[in-house]
Amino acid sequence: MTRWLFPLLIALSTGVASAPAAVEGAVTVKGKPANDTVVWLDAPDAPRAPTRGAVLEQRDLQFFPRVLAVQVGTKVRFPNSDRVLHNVFSYHDGEPFDLGLYPVGEVKNQSFDRPGLSRVFCNIHAQMAAYVMVVDTPYFAVSDARGQFTIQDVPAGTYHYHAWRPGSPILNDVIDIRPGVPFDVRWP
Amino acid sequence: MNRRTLACTLGFLLLTSVAAAQGVTAEADITAGRSTEGVNAAGTQLRLFGAVGHDWRMSAEVTWAGNFKNRESDAFGAAYPYDRSVRPMEVFVERALPKAERLATIRIGRYRDPFGISGRSDHAYGGFTRAPLIRYGTNWALSNTFMTTGVDALIGRPALSVEASVGASQDEGQARRPDALALVVRTQGYWHSTIVGVSHMRSRPSMHGSYVQGPMVFTGIDGRWMRGGVQLRGEWVDGRPFNGVATRGGYLDLIVHRTGMGPLTLVGRVEKLDYDAGPFSAYYHRVVVGGRYQATRAIGTQINVLHQPAGLTHGHRNVLDASVTYTVRF
Repeated sequence: MTRWLFPLLIALSTGVASAPAAVEGAVTVKGKPANDTVVWLDAPDAPRAPTRGAVLEQRDLQFFPRVLAVQVGTKVRFPNSDRVLHNVFSYHDGEPFDLGLYPVGEVKNQSFDRPGLSRVFCNIHAQMAAYVMVVDTPYFAVSDARGQFTIQDVPAGTYHYHAWRPGSPILNDVIDIRPGVPFDVRWP
Repeated sequence: MNRRTLACTLGFLLLTSVAAAQGVTAEADITAGRSTEGVNAAGTQLRLFGAVGHDWRMSAEVTWAGNFKNRESDAFGAAYPYDRSVRPMEVFVERALPKAERLATIRIGRYRDPFGISGRSDHAYGGFTRAPLIRYGTNWALSNTFMTTGVDALIGRPALSVEASVGASQDEGQARRPDALALVVRTQGYWHSTIVGVSHMRSRPSMHGSYVQGPMVFTGIDGRWMRGGVQLRGEWVDGRPFNGVATRGGYLDLIVHRTGMGPLTLVGRVEKLDYDAGPFSAYYHRVVVGGRYQATRAIGTQINVLHQPAGLTHGHRNVLDASVTYTVRF
């Protein structure tokens, strides 16, 4: 019996330890909470799927949200919910595209098939800007106004993680994801 | 302060107090400009906009701007009156009823007349320092500061929509119509980055005098196309500012902001305006080239070079306008 019990305990403990769970964390810059930060974990063996319900809306001459994170292969909706025309486009790194001119009520779609950062602008309204960070992992989140984020369904383990926010250098580090261990992302 | 200014100011204060408790954005523009037409100008606008409840949004704007020295020039008057007075501009609430592929929006308050290419963001700080000739108030046609206090409804689909405005004229700037009934109807179609609209308006004339009889009536067509950072837009209007005379004219804008141009946008405009009024007729044309350089998200510079007939603005055939605008959002 001992011969069977030991492997069983090992299997159970591994199963408990690697059971996917929500990971909560916080982002700070110089000690202050930082919103609009994308945090993602490398997980080459994790199953991929396009992000559902990804929307970058144009409203009041602004993009909402300002920072959007999606998985590779996601089709993002760009509805014009304003009272004026917009021409959403992106260039530089990430996914270059030009959605052309479109009026109120119209929705354009754009697929993001490569990982990287896309800076998104309106070619009519120079002050409009947003970011789409495309990640090749299912484990990612964007920090809220209090600097807090939650990454869903992460198996326990050790991960390389990355964090990016507008205007700051990208952070790369290692995190040991375990129950009860805080995931703090800090820019000095 | 007259009654309408008082009413708009109270409306502005009411909306700002409501907005203070909501998720509303505040934005301010501060501009300084100089023209070789003998104009020094300064202006500032403060606006509030955003959601004020379920499906309701608001917008409120107040401006102060002034031309100094040559006050007859239309320099820098692209979208605001430069009369050295504090003016409430648009003050309204609107509700959009979001339905898939459908449009249904109602706007209540004071707003720019929805005739043609009429939005503030279409004309202000977009690269041109002046309004098109057909949209500068004293040129016997339309004005970018023609405003209505009333109700505006828009229905349809993105591909084809109809908008109607009914209310009382409450204009700003030099050309002001009496506070009387004003109607604007507009239909717009959209297909593959091309937007075409047809507008019609009817109101009391903005001009005054015993010779001014009958209504002010204009019909116009406008179009916009944009792809790859190249935008073409223009309007053509035909009508009469009052009985017995006729105004027709239009403009075509080329606006280029291609990949690789970074913060630089180049603009060009050709335009004409014909005013047929017997011995008082005027036939104007103007060519504008220039650009807008967005040095930072907050600071933008506009430079326009204009070629125009001597009669248009007091003997200056070639004019250079330059302005700097600082924009901040709270």
